[in-house]
Amino acid sequence: MLASPLCAAPFTVRVVDSSGKPVRDAVVTVRPAGNAAKAPRQGGHFVVSQKNMQFHPFVTVIPVGANVSFPNFDSSKHHVYSFSPAKQFELKLFARDQSRSVHFDKPGVVALGCNIHDQMTAFIVVTDSAWTAKTNGHGVASLGDIPNARAKVTVWHPYMRAPGNAVSRVIAPGDRGEGFKVALRPPPMAMPDY
Amino acid sequence: MTRLGSRAILRALSSAAAACALGSGGPAAASDLNLFSPDSFELTAILRATATDGPRSWVDGGLGKLATNGGGGDFRIRPKLGEANLVWTPQFGWAVSGTFVGTVQGGERFEAGMSQAFLTYRPMRGKTLAFSARAGLMWPPVSLEHEGADWHVRDTATPSAINSWIGEEVRPLALEGNVTATLGRHRLTATAAVMAANDTSGTLLTFRGWALHDRKTLGFRRQPLPPIDGDLEHMQAPFTHPLVDLHGGFAHRPGYYAKLAWRPPVPVRIELFRYDNRANPEVKNEDMEWGWRTRFNDAALVADIGGSTEIRMQALSGRTKMGFPRDGRRWVDMRFRSAFVLVSRPFGDVGLAARAELFDTSNRGSIADDEYDETGWAATLAAKREWGDVTGVLELIHVSSSREQFEELGLETKQQQTRLQADLRLRW
Repeated sequence: MLASPLCAAPFTVRVVDSSGKPVRDAVVTVRPAGNAAKAPRQGGHFVVSQKNMQFHPFVTVIPVGANVSFPNFDSSKHHVYSFSPAKQFELKLFARDQSRSVHFDKPGVVALGCNIHDQMTAFIVVTDSAWTAKTNGHGVASLGDIPNARAKVTVWHPYMRAPGNAVSRVIAPGDRGEGFKVALRPPPMAMPDY
Repeated sequence: MTRLGSRAILRALSSAAAACALGSGGPAAASDLNLFSPDSFELTAILRATATDGPRSWVDGGLGKLATNGGGGDFRIRPKLGEANLVWTPQFGWAVSGTFVGTVQGGERFEAGMSQAFLTYRPMRGKTLAFSARAGLMWPPVSLEHEGADWHVRDTATPSAINSWIGEEVRPLALEGNVTATLGRHRLTATAAVMAANDTSGTLLTFRGWALHDRKTLGFRRQPLPPIDGDLEHMQAPFTHPLVDLHGGFAHRPGYYAKLAWRPPVPVRIELFRYDNRANPEVKNEDMEWGWRTRFNDAALVADIGGSTEIRMQALSGRTKMGFPRDGRRWVDMRFRSAFVLVSRPFGDVGLAARAELFDTSNRGSIADDEYDETGWAATLAAKREWGDVTGVLELIHVSSSREQFEELGLETKQQQTRLQADLRLRW
């Protein structure tokens, strides 16, 4: 979670799928109305590693202005790229125990891939809100110190069946918890390298 | 008519490397070169213990469908070296790499050689389209069961009859191009290749029938054939070289393969594959190895049905012909079919897999007639667990087949074999 102390108590969001099972890696963003909103802390350093032919973690939440390093712990080389409008980049082949770093300067969702290994997929959510967090294995995200004001709560997941893979709801002042039931698509199947 | 030599392969690979370097936009920067660093090498090995019943293996001059000798009614545990592979993957630039695999196979017949040697050109993909190319000695992209440069079997110890045959008789010299289009949530890959030096493909399948094993044909090595009786005994060498070009001059009569793969927006993948070696069935070399005109179609489906349970299905149907026409039929004219269903699912740290398959051949040649026909089935259960770079696989397999020709060799027409096998796979 990226929030810093402001004035009020924690706000909890629980996300479940259409069968009631908790959804992990859903990204919850709260945007309080009017003067209650504030800018998130800028920058910071985050890590998305490559191990066992997968990115770890699958979803990473970072503030605008952060740097992300991509260490490779696989014996195979990786070629990390993104075509997302929020950040387009490619990190040409780098081998085990090598790392590359990328600066993310615009908010948005950045989908990661590997040019060599089609099964490798991950997402970086670059946020400009001080209140953004992802759900844990119980489908719960806790955001501390939400202002006591009306706010828009958005839940995003890469496989959500919704426009932009996100759903939103407005909460009233003093609301300390919300539940979201969302429909998910199954993850796409990887194409073989050969 | 010449057997393809190592110089011809090296010439072909050199030409492909030059073409790839030109295609990648010029000479590689020094930082992109990575030829001999430790990361460029990998060593893999399989140590195994087996207990097999039934007949002697086809690998050792028998007719058993598995690669390990049965002891008749004796079910003894025998430790063996399965195989060892030295994999070299040099990087000639960020878009051009090589894959060279030297393999040693143990078990009932020890042999060493090169199993794959090819170059890959893979430029950065675009948002919608991705291109890549390969050139050299490599398996076509048919098998749903193999992965990695050392072409190890994913979920079981022994591949299906289909992919056992691919490993032993379908490994040409090829120039292959791939294009992948991402259209919304759909992804479509088209592959096309011209190929050579696979003119004898079908020989082993005709004389031995289907088999289930993880032995690979190594470059320039030959595969033994079971005893051949009748007129064909004097027409066909008692062995076959799967990597051979029988036509005058290299690639004068190239074959081709092509593949379409589609991934819709559900966890399913569908693949269609077509192979035709275009060999002339009327040519032979000085060893009496003939051209076998072999064609087959393969359809495959992979589906995740939830709960991490995956289903893999593959069906192959083909036809091979050899020799001159006699009474309107070539000496050998065989149709072959096989299909399997493989279900896999993790249970904690252990992956379980179950496979069932059917196979048959049907002969209508003027010499090899229906006495060569074969029908059979196999069932396989396997458990796999990984501990870092070490993987353990325990497998139980049963094969049952029936072939009238066995009677002429003094054997029962119906052959059955069961094997319990434990593999320890090591990777450095």
